[in-house]
Amino acid sequence: MTLSEFYSSLGESLDEVLERLRMESRVAKYLGLFLNDPSFNELKAAFAGNDAKTAFRAAHTLKGVAANLGLNKLSASSSELTEDLRPEVFTANSQALLEKVEADYVAVVAGIKQLEQ
Amino acid sequence: MDEKRPLILIVDDVAMNRALLSDVLSDKYNIIEAENGNEALLILREKTSEISLVLLDMVMPEKDGMEVLAIMNKNGWINEIPVIMISGETAHALIEGAYMLGVTDFIGRPFDEMVLKNRVSNTIRLYQKQKNLSDLVLNQIYEKTRNNSMMVTMLSHIVEFRNGESGMHVLHINTITEMLLRELLHRSNKYQINKNDIGIICTASSMHDIGKITISDEILNKPGKLTPEEFNIMKGHTVNCAQMLNAVPVGKDEPLMKYAYEICRWHHERWDGRGYPDGLKGDEIPIAAQIVSIADVYDALTSERCYKHAFTHEKALEMIHNNECGVFNPLLIECLDAIADRLVTALQTFDWSKQADKDFYDIADAMMNDQNHPIYNQAFRQLIDERKKCHFFEYSLNGILFEYTFTPSVIKLSSKASQKLGLPRTIIDEYKPNEEAKDVAENLEKIRKIIRRKSTPKDKPILIKQTFNIDGQSTPCNVKALQIWTKGSNDVPVLSAVYGHIDISKQG
Repeated sequence: MTLSEFYSSLGESLDEVLERLRMESRVAKYLGLFLNDPSFNELKAAFAGNDAKTAFRAAHTLKGVAANLGLNKLSASSSELTEDLRPEVFTANSQALLEKVEADYVAVVAGIKQLEQ
Repeated sequence: MDEKRPLILIVDDVAMNRALLSDVLSDKYNIIEAENGNEALLILREKTSEISLVLLDMVMPEKDGMEVLAIMNKNGWINEIPVIMISGETAHALIEGAYMLGVTDFIGRPFDEMVLKNRVSNTIRLYQKQKNLSDLVLNQIYEKTRNNSMMVTMLSHIVEFRNGESGMHVLHINTITEMLLRELLHRSNKYQINKNDIGIICTASSMHDIGKITISDEILNKPGKLTPEEFNIMKGHTVNCAQMLNAVPVGKDEPLMKYAYEICRWHHERWDGRGYPDGLKGDEIPIAAQIVSIADVYDALTSERCYKHAFTHEKALEMIHNNECGVFNPLLIECLDAIADRLVTALQTFDWSKQADKDFYDIADAMMNDQNHPIYNQAFRQLIDERKKCHFFEYSLNGILFEYTFTPSVIKLSSKASQKLGLPRTIIDEYKPNEEAKDVAENLEKIRKIIRRKSTPKDKPILIKQTFNIDGQSTPCNVKALQIWTKGSNDVPVLSAVYGHIDISKQG
C-alpha cells in the first residue's frame, strides 16, 4: 500500500498533509512513531481508573498528534471527547465518545501496519 | 560557526511532537528539549541568556504551559525570551490567556512547516534586534558615566595641580560629601534631597574650587600669610566661579548645574553668618554647600598645604568641634562624628574606578526599573550578580588574588594581596613604587612578568613557581593564572585579561 492509498482508505488526503509537512518520508516516519505514542493507551487506562483529568489530557494530546498527521477523523472524535472532558469529570456521553475515538484509532493503526508491510 | 546557531527550547510532553518540531527546525537551530513544565523551568534558569526562543505546549503534566508562562513572568524572563505557544487547543479564552501572559505568537495544530519556520525565524530576529539595541544603550550609558565622572575629576584636578595640592583633594571631598549626605538622609528628612541626588551632588562637589582658576599664581601659591587685599582677591574665587557657571550657555535647568552653583558660591559660608561671600546664615546656605564646606575643612586640616602641616584625624575633629574653622550646622557635626571611624578607612582605600562603576549601576538600575521605558537585559543582570558574587568570594576567601585588564591597562589586587605584597590595590602603568622599597618594586615586576608571559590561547590556567617578598622574606609561591582571550579583528585571538591566584607554598 502506498502512502496515498493509506490516506484514501481512511477517507483522508495525503496532499493536505504534504502541504504542511513537505516530505513523504517525514509523514511516513511519524506515522510509524504514532504506533508507539502512548496517548491512546493512557486514555483507555484513565477511563478504567476513573481519572477524568488524565483522560482529558490524553484526549487533548491525541487530538493534536492526529491533526498534525492529517488523521482528521481521529482528530475530530478526539476533539469531541476533549471538550466533553474539559471540566475534568466524566459525563453521560463520555463512554460513547471514547468508543468513537477507539474505532477511529483502530482503523488508523490497522492502516499503518499494512503500510509498513 | 556552530556557536552562532540560536538555541530553541522545545517544551512538550509528547515525544512525537518534540521530534517533529526538532526535525523541522534542527537544520538551522540548536535544539534542547523538555518533557514538562518543571524541566523547562530548570533549563530556563540555567540557560536564561542562551535561549533564543521557547516553543511551548499548553497541556502537559507536572506544570502546564500556562504555569510555565506565569513563572517566566514572575522572573522577568518573558521580557527577554520570546515564547511561541504550539497547541491543538481551540478554546478561545485559553488562547487569549496565553497572549495575556506574554506569548509572542500562538500556532495551532495541525501546523504548517513553512509557517512555523518563518514565525520562528522572525521572532528570533526581532528579539535579537531588540537585545542588540538594549546592549548598545547600556554600553553607551556605561561609557558616558565613566567619561563624565572621569572628565569632571580631570578638570577639577587641573585646578588642584595649579594649586600645588595633591590630586587627592577632589576625590576626598567626593567621598566625604557622599558619606555625610547618606548619614544626613539617614538621620533627618528635613532637607529636600532624594537618593538620586547623591551622585549629582558628589560630582558637583568636585567643582567646588574651580573658581580658583581666576586667582593669580602669586596669591594662590603664596607660602606665607596673605595680606588683607590678597585675601579679598582669594575670597573672590567663590563669586567668580558662580559667574563662570552663569555664563555657561547650556544646562541651566540641570540639577548638576544648580548644585555646582550652590557649592561653588557658598562653600565658604558659615552657619553663624560669618563666612563669605554673601554672609548667609543657617539654612539660608543650601545644604549641598554646607556639606561640602565641612568636607573641605576636614580635608584641608588633615592634608599638608603650602602654608601648613597636616593635622591628625582626631585633632581635625577637635578643631571643627571647637569652631576653630568657623561654625557649622550642629546636625552636620553630629553626622561627621557618626562617620568619623569609617571615614579614615574610606579615604585610605579610595578607588575611583569603583566610584564610576557605582554611578553606572545606579543609573542602569534606575533605567531597568523604569516603569515607562524598561530595559531588559538578563546578561547585564547576570553580570552584576557575578560581580557581587566575585566580590563576596574574594572577601570570604581572603586570598592573594590579582587581575589585569589590557584596556584600560590596570592591575587590581585583593586586599590581602595588597597587604602581603606591599602594593596598592589598583596599579596603573605609570605607577612607580617608592625607590627605597626594593622588595615592593620586585614584587610588582614579578606580577608584570606573569601577566606578560607568552602563551597560546587555551582555557586552562597556567601554573608558575615564583618567589615573592612577603613580610621581608623571599617566599616561594605557586601562582595559578588564567588568561582570557577574545576574538580580535581577522579572528586573531587577543589577550584581554589575566586572573591570578598566589598560593604561599607550605614551608618545610
